[in-house]
Formats: sequence, C-alpha cells, structure tokens
Amino acid sequence: MNTVLSRANSLFAFSLSVMAALTFGCFITTAFKDRSIPVEIHVSKVMLKNVDDFTGPRERSDLGFLVFDISADILLLSRSQPIFDWNVKQLFLYLSAEYATKNNALNQVVLWDKIVLRGGETKLNLRETKPEYLFFDDGNGLRSNKNITLTLSWNVVPNAGILPLVMGSGHVSLPFPDSYEIYKSY
Amino acid sequence: MLSIFKSIPTHMDYKGQKLAEQIFQGIILISAVIGFVYGYIIEQFGWTVYIVLAGFAVSCLLTLPPWPMYRKNPLNWQPAIPESSGENREKPQENLKKKKHK
Repeated sequence: MNTVLSRANSLFAFSLSVMAALTFGCFITTAFKDRSIPVEIHVSKVMLKNVDDFTGPRERSDLGFLVFDISADILLLSRSQPIFDWNVKQLFLYLSAEYATKNNALNQVVLWDKIVLRGGETKLNLRETKPEYLFFDDGNGLRSNKNITLTLSWNVVPNAGILPLVMGSGHVSLPFPDSYEIYKSY
Repeated sequence: MLSIFKSIPTHMDYKGQKLAEQIFQGIILISAVIGFVYGYIIEQFGWTVYIVLAGFAVSCLLTLPPWPMYRKNPLNWQPAIPESSGENREKPQENLKKKKHK
C-alpha cells in the first residue's frame, strides 16, 4: 500500500472479488426460478410421405410434414414478466416431436427453432408455419403412429450460472395418417 | 525513463495507508450494494457492472495519488547520531534509513 502500483493492485483485486460476488448473487437470485410458461400449439395439417433418405438407411423412410400454430404470450421483456430477468441474455426456443417406435422407446426430432433476444420480440405468435427442418424418421415409424407429441422447449442463456432447459407447459399429441401421400419422384 | 517515475514520491504514511484502504473498500462496497439493488430493480445486470466500475474509478482517483490527507502522520525518526561515533557505523545506518523510508 506504500506505492501507487501496490495500491492499484489491491484496489483492482478487491474490485474483482466484489464483482465475482455480485455475479454469484445475480445467479443465486434467479437460480430457483420457474421459467415455464403456458404455450399453445395447434397443428392444422399433417401429411406423410415415404421417400428416399440419402443420409440414413438405404431404404425408404417416413417423412412427415406439419403445419402448425404456436402462441405464447409471456415472452415479454418487462419487469413483471418471469422469463427475461437480469440473468437472461436470450432464449433458444425449439419445437420438438417425440414419439416411440418399435426400435426406439424415445425419438426426438427438432422441427423448428428460434432465438429470442433480450429486448427483441415480445410475443410469439406463429400462424400456419412449416417446419424448418425435415421430419425424417429413421425407418417407417411415423406411419399410423398414434401418439406423436409436439413440445416447445427453450434454453435460457444466462449471464452467469447454469443453462436451464425449460419445457413449455402445453403440448399437443397427434396421430399420423395410416397411408402415404401419393408422391411422384422424378 | 523509469528513474523519472521512480523519483516521484508516492508514499503514504502508515495511518494514511490504512485510511486509503478503508476508503477504497468502503466506496467499492457501497457502489456494489447500490449497483446490485439498482440492477435487480431494472432487471439489467449490465448496470450493476457499470456502477461498480464507476466506484472503482472514483476510488482510484481518491486513493492512488498520495494526497496530503494520507501524509498527516509522518514517522518521527530518531535524530541522526553525531559524527563522532565514526564512519564505520554511520554507513549501515544510512542504508537502514533509506529502506524504511521507501
């Protein structure tokens, strides 16, 4: 503490320790928060095709097509709203389909995703949306599968601490048709 | 170049050092509490960081330069021992003095 450098050193070290404590406080004030919100998912159209999957097995695989609506109102960035607090940078939302087949007890396919930045969009309201990614099964497990569940989940990207994975409350289960659409391949 | 900087006196006396430490710890802790509460209220952790940085800057300004308030209690040195004791004993004492003073 007798020279400028030693004073600067202890000042800097003390500030860093205080900052670390504050960051931990930021984490601890938000760690036990429930960030689940009600989500409404509605599927208006389901179509099933049987096409060549050049990336997977050599046989034809099931390819599903969906048209879906999602509405979730509580993505607001505001003081009273639960999702965006001071430990949230952004949300990574994704819509996934879960179903069981003969070979696998649980299949998960991500159909659509979206990044919601802090201060960005306030409401999620999708109408007649098509999936971004192909809904390929690794075999023929989609045909006449009566229980395919669509769920909207999100990762909460924090400033500090853990990266929670939250499932939206509200999912939809839908049956897939028993027959394939007639599909012309050239 | 370095010798010029080293020739600038930056020392504080002991009570001044204690005072400087208490001042910067107090300023940073207070700014941390203010920043935490403010950031929590407006839900922006960035503001917490900015307020702590502001406290850091203020305490740098207040405690890094050797302001006169940190030099109010200089050490009272023993008067120099008269020359008669001989050259052999004088030299080590001078060295000792310089070391303590730095």
